[in-house]
Amino acid sequence: MKVRPLAIALSLVTATDLHAQIRASEMATFTQMIDGTKIGMTYSRPRGRGRDTLFGSVKSVRWDEVWTPGANYATTFEVNRPVTLDGHAVKAGTYSVWMVVKQSGTWTMVLDPKVRIYHMSPPDSNATQIRFPVKTHDAPYLDVLTWSMPELRSNGGTLTMQWGRTRVDMNLDVTPSYALTMPQADADPYLGVWEYAEIDSGKVGPTQRFVIDYENQTLKGRWHSDSSYFKHFALVKIAPDWFAPGVYDDRGQVYEVYKPELVLEFTRENGRATSFLARDDQDKVVMKGKRTK
Amino acid sequence: MRFAGPHPTPRPGITAAKVLTKDKLDGNADLIAVFDGVREIPQVIDGIRCQCGCATLDGYYSLLSCYEGDKAMAQICHICQGEGKLAVRLHREGKSLEEIRIAIDAKFG
Repeated sequence: MKVRPLAIALSLVTATDLHAQIRASEMATFTQMIDGTKIGMTYSRPRGRGRDTLFGSVKSVRWDEVWTPGANYATTFEVNRPVTLDGHAVKAGTYSVWMVVKQSGTWTMVLDPKVRIYHMSPPDSNATQIRFPVKTHDAPYLDVLTWSMPELRSNGGTLTMQWGRTRVDMNLDVTPSYALTMPQADADPYLGVWEYAEIDSGKVGPTQRFVIDYENQTLKGRWHSDSSYFKHFALVKIAPDWFAPGVYDDRGQVYEVYKPELVLEFTRENGRATSFLARDDQDKVVMKGKRTK
Repeated sequence: MRFAGPHPTPRPGITAAKVLTKDKLDGNADLIAVFDGVREIPQVIDGIRCQCGCATLDGYYSLLSCYEGDKAMAQICHICQGEGKLAVRLHREGKSLEEIRIAIDAKFG
């Protein structure tokens, strides 16, 4: 490792005096919740400061360097539950983040369980690390290095690092808190045509049609709704005979599960669901329904 | 946002002595009903963890804590109220503490 007196001096300043000081690479954190999984990154944000070339230059990040995508102390990635990054399992915990920067071909993303490492001392490759290739993309110029999750789904999103004209995207999947799919045999007792009525302040509204079908291994409901999103929804099983509506976005992805706001509690006779009550978060019955076919 | 964790063990001999009474609930019939319901089954409510986030506060033990004292959180927190209402109903339907815990976790966890 090369010894750089100026870097060591700056590291000492960083460690001892964090108050009221202008830093070339200011600290930042970002957190994102997805279905109960908390994803957090802490990093120092280098700026371009007029440099024409941020990668492949002696003034910035050199090719083949093991670089922390940040500055000063290594960027950290923290999750409170297991996730996958580009399909690679990452256990709950905190990791220092590194990238092996290549002039051509893919870069290598490295998560190392050892944290609080200064950027001048990248860890050697070892068995405790999670390593996988990542592709770089051209992007509109961004002066300050930024980690973000610009795309979110109900079960994950895109984790993105961008600096200068270079962007790296990784697909992050969380561990779902419930399954959207179920076997046909489990769905059968609920399938059919139903009628239901809304109940507001004790007044029972008009009877309307409610159809429960099974599509793409998912139990789905269709009923009258003024909201286009709420006309066709997944019935997400949260407990035996209890379901919460999961509403779809334009891409057919569930983007919200309405619990505790609306839970359908079915009653069975001879193994077949024959009626239900829908209750709100105050356990008030807001809808009742019964099977007609 | 979830604040999951293990459900507490009901304290032996726990009573509802600290649960707010209707004279302190501003005549709010909905609140009075749930506080009265909780008062009937302190040994059950004391075995339930509240999922609203209050479980990490000092002095908290169980959902029963949300209904105790002048600053009882259930006076204003819809999650504390909803959990109390669900627990009271299920108990009246003959459900066990374990079944009530599962229902609370399913709906509010």
